[in-house]
Amino acid sequence: MGNLFVPLALGCLVAIASALGVILARRPVYAAIFLLVHSLSLAALFALLSAAIVAVGQIIIYSGAIVVLFLFVVTLLPTGGRELAPKGGRVTAAIVTAAGILVALAAALSAGALPQAPTVPGDLTVQAVGQTLFSTVIVAFELTAPLLLVAIVGAVVIWRRHEPRPRTAQPAKVTEPRTLVMHR
Amino acid sequence: MSSETLVLATSAALFAIGSAGALLHRHPVAMLMAIEVMLNAANLLIVLGARVRGGADAEAAALVVLVLAAAEAVIGLALALALFRRRPIPDVDDAAELRG
Repeated sequence: MGNLFVPLALGCLVAIASALGVILARRPVYAAIFLLVHSLSLAALFALLSAAIVAVGQIIIYSGAIVVLFLFVVTLLPTGGRELAPKGGRVTAAIVTAAGILVALAAALSAGALPQAPTVPGDLTVQAVGQTLFSTVIVAFELTAPLLLVAIVGAVVIWRRHEPRPRTAQPAKVTEPRTLVMHR
Repeated sequence: MSSETLVLATSAALFAIGSAGALLHRHPVAMLMAIEVMLNAANLLIVLGARVRGGADAEAAALVVLVLAAAEAVIGLALALALFRRRPIPDVDDAAELRG
């Protein structure tokens, strides 16, 4: 993978910069656009790591479906996605958590030594991945179908539960007959 | 610095950035986007492992994670829209019905 170092470094740089853009953008529209750039840079990284089918899936599912879904929801927001300013405690918690996770991951990942890549490029063909998908991980693969179905039904149920009742179904409100109150 | 180390470091950094964003935001949609960044970081690590060890099953797992991310986004966005019915400018701290 030596000759791929420069493109990989470029992809990593774009991925980190766009991830920072996702979390620091003040408006959700800009965050969604940054998320699009992020997913495309990750697709490029997957392609460079010779995972062709994952790269294609990333473009179709992430850039094509998820980011568009986010953009639809952002257009549905009543106030254009205005957000309350983060509280002071949240900023501190975010910085502390990010630093802690970074240190922990760096320690864990540097402890487990990576073996030198013995694979020749083209080892993981789409055919090999497809055969694994339909033999070794067939249960997980088939379970994604009911998962998606449950997700769709769940989204509809969550949305309908908070829906106000249609006006025609409400019974007509009976007004109380007014009574005369005598004040002394 | 080898290419594998570079991608490993990128994956760790992306996960940290995503977790910081998920804690930073009070807007549910922005929070979900940060969680998507975290999922992407995990997927990058899976694909790197598949490349280094030459395992096709890891790449299949990465594909399943992609579908999982789609399902998660659908449910999360439906919850976010349900929260918008309550307040025009939502705060995730408002959704506290399950607090004991």
